[in-house]
Amino acid sequence: MFGLAALTPILVRDAYFLDSLVLILLWGALSAAWNVAGGYAGQVSIGHASFFGIGAYSAALTVTRFGGGPWFGMLVGIVISIGAGFIIGFLSNRLKGPYFALSTIAFSQVLLIGVSRWRGFTSGAEGIPVPFRPGFATLGLGHVGWVYMALAVALVCYAVEVYLERSRVGYQLAGVREDEDAAEALGIPTRRLKVGAVTLSAALTSVCGSLWAQYVGFVDPTYVFSVDLSVRFALNTIIGGMGTALGPFLGSILITSLETYLRATFAGVKAGFTGIYLIIYGTALILVVRFVPDGLAGIAARVRVRRAHA
Amino acid sequence: MDPARRLGPAQIGVLTQLVVATVLLGGIYALISVGLTLIFGIMRVVNFAHGEFLMLGMYLAFWAFVAFTADPYFVVVVAIPLFFVVGLVVYGLVMRGVIHASHNVQIFTTVGLSTVLQNVALVAWSGDFRYVRPWHLSTVLRAGSTIFNLTQVVASLIAVALTLTLVAFMKWTHAGRVMRATAQDRDAATLMGIDTDRVYRLTFAIGIAAVGAAGVLVAPLYSVYPTAGLQFVLLSYVVVVLGGLGDMLGAMIGSLIVAAVEVAGSYLFGAAWKEIFYFILFILVLGFRPAGLFGQRGAGTLGV
Amino acid sequence: MSDAAPILALDRVTKRFGGLTAVSGVSFRVEAREILGIIGPNGAGKTTLFNVISGYYRPESGRIHFAGHDVTGQPPHAICRLGLTRTFQLVKPFGNLSVIDNVMIGALTRLPTVSAARLDAERVVETCGLAAHAAGHARTLPIGLRKRLEVARALATRPRLLLLDEVMAGLNPTELAGMIELIRRLHADGLTLIVIEHIMAAMMRLAQRIVVLHHGETIAEGAPAAITQDRRVVDAYLGEEFVLAQA
Repeated sequence: MFGLAALTPILVRDAYFLDSLVLILLWGALSAAWNVAGGYAGQVSIGHASFFGIGAYSAALTVTRFGGGPWFGMLVGIVISIGAGFIIGFLSNRLKGPYFALSTIAFSQVLLIGVSRWRGFTSGAEGIPVPFRPGFATLGLGHVGWVYMALAVALVCYAVEVYLERSRVGYQLAGVREDEDAAEALGIPTRRLKVGAVTLSAALTSVCGSLWAQYVGFVDPTYVFSVDLSVRFALNTIIGGMGTALGPFLGSILITSLETYLRATFAGVKAGFTGIYLIIYGTALILVVRFVPDGLAGIAARVRVRRAHA
Repeated sequence: MDPARRLGPAQIGVLTQLVVATVLLGGIYALISVGLTLIFGIMRVVNFAHGEFLMLGMYLAFWAFVAFTADPYFVVVVAIPLFFVVGLVVYGLVMRGVIHASHNVQIFTTVGLSTVLQNVALVAWSGDFRYVRPWHLSTVLRAGSTIFNLTQVVASLIAVALTLTLVAFMKWTHAGRVMRATAQDRDAATLMGIDTDRVYRLTFAIGIAAVGAAGVLVAPLYSVYPTAGLQFVLLSYVVVVLGGLGDMLGAMIGSLIVAAVEVAGSYLFGAAWKEIFYFILFILVLGFRPAGLFGQRGAGTLGV
Repeated sequence: MSDAAPILALDRVTKRFGGLTAVSGVSFRVEAREILGIIGPNGAGKTTLFNVISGYYRPESGRIHFAGHDVTGQPPHAICRLGLTRTFQLVKPFGNLSVIDNVMIGALTRLPTVSAARLDAERVVETCGLAAHAAGHARTLPIGLRKRLEVARALATRPRLLLLDEVMAGLNPTELAGMIELIRRLHADGLTLIVIEHIMAAMMRLAQRIVVLHHGETIAEGAPAAITQDRRVVDAYLGEEFVLAQA
């Protein structure tokens, strides 16, 4: 699948199509990053937009306020996200299930309000345009360049997931997700692993946020810290299959294509557009968790098993 | 230096104003939160869509005002049965299937519901900020040096009256006792022949009726827009957690605490930052005192 | 540390919950290669005591020494790494993982690689009679096999001392005999065990020494035969559904 994505720019030159591909890969990478905490460690966050926003703002502010490069901004974002990840990780050790989810929403709201109100530094609710300067060092890439950039980050996130499926620490994390008390009795330092998973997930999300800021060229607090965005990371993963490596990418292909299709269909009614696809998202979320809890990857696995038995 | 001596008449005036503001705000927050306390306490379901029903209540007040210049305080009378029915329908369509499911399923179901409701409002009524401006909003009441508008005072009084009615209902009626019994022990209640599905349906409908009514009442005090519910849902979780889960009187005290934090925060740092205080309070309370200020940590949290 | 030192020593351990004292000044020693039984009526504090020993609860006072280390207040995973682990009365399988993965997660605590742990887990699964179910999801196991899985998973961490919390409750007679046989075999291989059990017949056959808890306090300690004659023990059990003499 990733190989196909790598070949596409050679075969197709359509900017619109390549743009969709970049978005599919970026959303897939973000959902995979969410999956590290939510799917593998079982720490379901609805505030991951916090880390996305930290990454986006770190890159945008480094470029516009301090004259630094976006790569350095990305690094700043990683460092801040690790700090924020520790806070959320600490909360995950105190809180279970719905309480943890609530505290992550509150965290993203604190950032949203903070960034919106601190006008002097962040330009507040108006947001910051990120200048386009051609070149790799300034992340001013063409469509083809962005496809490979997004592909690279998607592969990194995918590799982290695969590692968590096969490695020692991955199995231990699965134990933590399934039953923390039992995992402790088996000698697994559950608190440390949870904080580690949440922090890694935060750092990966932040990297994607920094790239996104450069790709789109504009950041504003109400979008990058929104609950809708956090839900979207989770939604892609749930539809694709939580705790599976390919799931977030499958979910991203489906949801991002749907969005692109709807955007084309409802292009005339611009105001209504956002609402319509979010209504579809929400409905999909309700139906999937109820009727297909293990997502597309789960369906695929079941089909394989059935074929093997037939 | 003795702090009491520094309190001149002006400071006492400010203090009274802050205290009265806290009580008024606390009354409204109590009505918002009491529905959530019921749903959470009895059904053990975290309803992330709670704020969206408040938002729908606000739109009901707005459209009733635009269409019939109906005063929100009369609309409340319509809102209570209307939202009760909405609660029944949503329970049947969405909640019933997930009540015994895992936390994750409940979280995402109600998050999905919240997304749907927000965007139905967005598509139907656009993202514009709307305002309800009844005549009493500009009627000023004076008590000594403190000033309040009539809307705030009446909204708060109605909210407190409704909350107390609900508390009385839970305490003294048969249905209320059955609901509390179910909250204490779902399995035992089933063994006693209680139809828990009916109890949950009733609980959810009452909770939604309460928050819908609250939405109508607060519509003149806040701007009305599709995501207006978000700040209130987090706020009501602060209240519910502070008050000890499922404890209605605790929730009323929790409302006063949250209101006090908001009023004091706005006074000291400016109103623009007020939301940030209860979100931080929220994270702190959840992080350090998850069973509430008065509750005991349940044995179930460790699960050993 | 000399061979004469006990593997586990509790010194006046007390655990309170609010106003309730669940474990009150309990002291006892466990010698290496011993099977110690803990009995007592419902609510006597047996499981709480296990939670304190294995690190889930921090005692208000008293000390716990295991294999020469003071483990009081240490987290469960650290205590496990020293060689002390437990099973849970209400079994806690990793439901969505296969039986072999459940056991392998235990083995990974000592072994650095997944492949080594898998080989080791296969041996443990075989020992515990779960080989036929190794590939199935843990949540699909019937209760009798879930209890075995609890034991297998704990064994995979290679403990020196294993705490078994009612692993025989709810088993049918065949399963019960199998479990007793398994515990005896583990004991013969050098494992030290503390066993909480309500099934007195089994306890009498297994334990070399029994500690009786009542209202959180030790009311008797000694050989099984002596315990059944103890007046205080008989009094404590009055009103319980079973009669001690049946043992």
